[in-house]
Amino acid sequence: MKKLLITVLCMALIFVLGACSQATEKETTKSEGNKGSETTEKKVPRVAFVYIGVPTDGGWTKTHDEGRELVDKTFGIKSTTVESVPEGPDAERVIEELAQDHDIIFTTSFGYMDPTISVAKKHPDVLFMHATGYKTAENVGTYQTKGYESGYLSGLAAGAITKNKKIGYVGAFPIPEVIYTINAFTLAAQSVNPDTKVNVVWSNTWFDPTAERQAAISLLDKGVDVLANYQDSPAGIQAAAKRGVWGMGNDADMSEYAPETYITNPVIHWGPYYVEVVQSWIDGTWKSESYLGGIKEGMADIAPFGKNVPKKVQDLVNEKKQEMADGKFEVFKGPIYDNKGKLRVAEGETMSVEDILAMDWLVKGVNGTIPK
Amino acid sequence: MDMVQLILAAAISGGTSLLFAVLGGILNEKAGVINLGTEGIMLIGAVISAIFYLQTENLFVTFLVMLVASGLLGLLHAFLCITIRANQIVSGLAVTLFGTGLSAYLGKSVAGVPIPVSIPKIELSLLDSIPFLSIFSELDIFIWMSIALSIILYLYMYKTSWGLHLKAVGDNPSTSDAMGISVTAFRYFHVVVGAMLMGVAGFYLIMVYSPNWIEGMTSGRGWIAIALIIFARWNPIYALFGAYFFGGLDSLGFRMQIYNFDIPSYFLKMIPYLATILVLMFSGWKNRHKPSIEPKSLGNPYFREQRF
Amino acid sequence: MSQKSSYEHISVDLKVDNRKPRMVPYKFEYNPHKKGGWWVPLLSIFVALIICAVFILLNGMNPITIYTKMFQGAFGSSFGISETIVKAIPLLLCGLGVAIAYRIAIWNIGAEGQFLLGAIGATAVTIFLPDLPGALYIPLMLIMGIAAGAIWGLFTALPRTYFQVNELITSLMLNYVALLLLNYLVYEAWRDPAGFNFPGTPEFTPYQMLANIGGTRLHIGLVFALFAVAVLAFMLTKTRWGYELKLLGANSIAAKNAGIKMNKHILIVMMISGGLAGFAGAIEVSGVAGRLMYGISPGYGYTAIIVAWLAKLNPWAMIMTSLFIGGLIVGGYSVQSMGLPLSFSSMLQGAILFCLISGEMISGYRLKKIN
Repeated sequence: MKKLLITVLCMALIFVLGACSQATEKETTKSEGNKGSETTEKKVPRVAFVYIGVPTDGGWTKTHDEGRELVDKTFGIKSTTVESVPEGPDAERVIEELAQDHDIIFTTSFGYMDPTISVAKKHPDVLFMHATGYKTAENVGTYQTKGYESGYLSGLAAGAITKNKKIGYVGAFPIPEVIYTINAFTLAAQSVNPDTKVNVVWSNTWFDPTAERQAAISLLDKGVDVLANYQDSPAGIQAAAKRGVWGMGNDADMSEYAPETYITNPVIHWGPYYVEVVQSWIDGTWKSESYLGGIKEGMADIAPFGKNVPKKVQDLVNEKKQEMADGKFEVFKGPIYDNKGKLRVAEGETMSVEDILAMDWLVKGVNGTIPK
Repeated sequence: MDMVQLILAAAISGGTSLLFAVLGGILNEKAGVINLGTEGIMLIGAVISAIFYLQTENLFVTFLVMLVASGLLGLLHAFLCITIRANQIVSGLAVTLFGTGLSAYLGKSVAGVPIPVSIPKIELSLLDSIPFLSIFSELDIFIWMSIALSIILYLYMYKTSWGLHLKAVGDNPSTSDAMGISVTAFRYFHVVVGAMLMGVAGFYLIMVYSPNWIEGMTSGRGWIAIALIIFARWNPIYALFGAYFFGGLDSLGFRMQIYNFDIPSYFLKMIPYLATILVLMFSGWKNRHKPSIEPKSLGNPYFREQRF
Repeated sequence: MSQKSSYEHISVDLKVDNRKPRMVPYKFEYNPHKKGGWWVPLLSIFVALIICAVFILLNGMNPITIYTKMFQGAFGSSFGISETIVKAIPLLLCGLGVAIAYRIAIWNIGAEGQFLLGAIGATAVTIFLPDLPGALYIPLMLIMGIAAGAIWGLFTALPRTYFQVNELITSLMLNYVALLLLNYLVYEAWRDPAGFNFPGTPEFTPYQMLANIGGTRLHIGLVFALFAVAVLAFMLTKTRWGYELKLLGANSIAAKNAGIKMNKHILIVMMISGGLAGFAGAIEVSGVAGRLMYGISPGYGYTAIIVAWLAKLNPWAMIMTSLFIGGLIVGGYSVQSMGLPLSFSSMLQGAILFCLISGEMISGYRLKKIN
């Protein structure tokens, strides 16, 4: 009898719990008719930035903060910034809070995609710009840089400088933006120095200087004479410099950490685009788009060369950069084989942007694997 | 150099910062005070080193200031745990929280600024020609210091009368009090010195490993050090090997990637933690009728007039 | 049973050497049973605010503006309040779990790992049983979450009871194992194939999400958490089991002599402790995160220790303290616009803890005249 009672109670509990899911709630559809509230008179934009790290991280967040500075200077405003916002539940709260008293919000990390979209639904009169994502809405635009173009230019320099044809590359995670940068880098290095091998190690962290350094050292021990890093901290460049090995970083100019052995690396200038977005908001001409800025647009670029980089190498890279700026050069043009020997891009074909942004294979010449 | 030697070299350089923190932790715990503030003290040690080295460019002065700063945090922990007899776990947690926050706060002005430092190395060209020992031919002085410290602490703890007192204080404070040892003074001294060593761990991290301040740059290594204390069974010599083992695992994982071994690094990194638990379980089972090896009054404040 | 509780009426002489003649005819007497009441946490929070105000002043800012802004961010609007509560839910549940273990002096610092396991357990349901009838998801996910957390708690308890391994160590180690397991799952095994390699599982369906309250992000998990408080408070004060725990906590040797089985209680308490943290994890993934992802816990398990301690391990008081700490975290994001780093709020938390634990002990001292 007692057992029966307990069973019944349990069933009842499960039933009650089952009724707690969101799906059983009535759909509360909001009307989205109040867009375009006329504010033609006062047009001082209130701008906010959501950062994944701190502006002093020397990498990703620093590049965005430089962009923010340009916005502030151009429009004479003081943008709000919120730093170290974890991707996930906290992000949604921070964005929601900002949306209540801002006009334009830049969310600057991939993981902010869903929170941005969900907050944007509730605030149709606020403009959201999400970096590196792929979901847009009427009031959400995305922007992204063609990291593979600047990656290619860095690869040219690395390929021209390496003597033993062994280059090391510390990648944070095997995600498309890192993968296509490494692929472009490798293609470029091979174009000036055939048979160059790029050895890749995944550090599995964006931010852990000790682990990044260990990863760098494991490559240095293998005898690479150029070490590139797709990481936010300069630990890898510093480790390379200690052994007199050429180093390259990512995102921001990292020359100050290894002045003697620095080559160059991809950098990003978000500033001009940010200014453009804010200006178009002021003019009332903004339209949702997925912006992709490369060398031509000035968003992707490479850092000034290190002081010991030979003039010949600099000229070679600058020449190619000019070609890209003129729109005469495509990075991923066939034939391209992956590192298992499979033909990925046929002769005469060019990869579409969609395919590039979803790349999950490594080109021939890359010594490394992508888990699973 | 062959693979094993290279990994060993990487393990030594990767484990040294940990080693300092572990030695500090051992001193704390041997005296019966557990210090969960390691992470916070390491961060303070690192940020103070960065600030003062950039100001003075003097390694020695920086080192001293860093010792004072981390010692102060240790003093705070000691005061709370020993004099006020607060809960040691909560106090340690508070030290970590406070240290993490304060270091980020203090470090704002020097974040990302490269620190132009070069740590003197000791070159033993004699060893160069000996096959296996050649990795020791060019290590920086702090590595030698950490090795020497392990040995000194070992001798101190097991071979001197002070060391025996220390064990007594950590195991059975009321007895040692009866023997005329000042439990309070002993505990204070070891907690403060231990905290200084944790500061050195931060110092090493920023001066040698990654010479520029980045917020939260220890990324959890203080907690790993706490695990290592137990892994090393409170023995400074075991700590030396334990730290190198932990330090080497990272490096081993990366090297396995280079040679295309496909083991998810996550499981590789679990080994030390699981091994620690298993080792403790084994020795607990083996010694089930004997007193345990850990300081018996670890975590307990000492009430002087508790001896009825 | 004749043994006196070892903590009763211990008088402590603050002077190191008591052989010297006394200069003052007073001495401090320490009595842990006369420790200050509800006002101690409040006072320590106040003192901590003043200490941190000094740092703010040194930075050339006005502490009052900062604190006001923080308060407004956390409690100044219905949005702020709802977000503070959302933050408080996992803290409250983990805090309950931590507190019940601390009541019998089991130093479980593994709430973080148990929380993660709860989140993993709940998510496993969505991964391995994709075609369940919708209404079954939430109950199954919550049960799996609790079970996973409880088992993780058991992993801490078993070595303690049968192998004399310090639970502090085991629980700390298991936090790392749990974190590595989580990272393995979100970066590799369970990664959303359509997610552009973002480290997270596929998004939950509405059937796998807890219902929200009133158009905010506040979810039904609040009810569960409050329910847990009530149940736990009842069990601790009104049942024989609660009474035995109380005895164990006050004096384990005496309790042992009275025939209370320490090991059995440790196992049960650690399962409940882990289960509560696991419950929190399950609620967090199904209530707010909507998927298992890296960094799912910004240290809830550790922060919960503060929550429990501020509340003096009292379940009802933890409702207040979890709200307070939740507010501190939420408010911490708000003051960034004034130039303070996010870490300021962890500094403040540390300072509060310092003041709290010292205030607690100091309040146990009474100045007594010596006859």
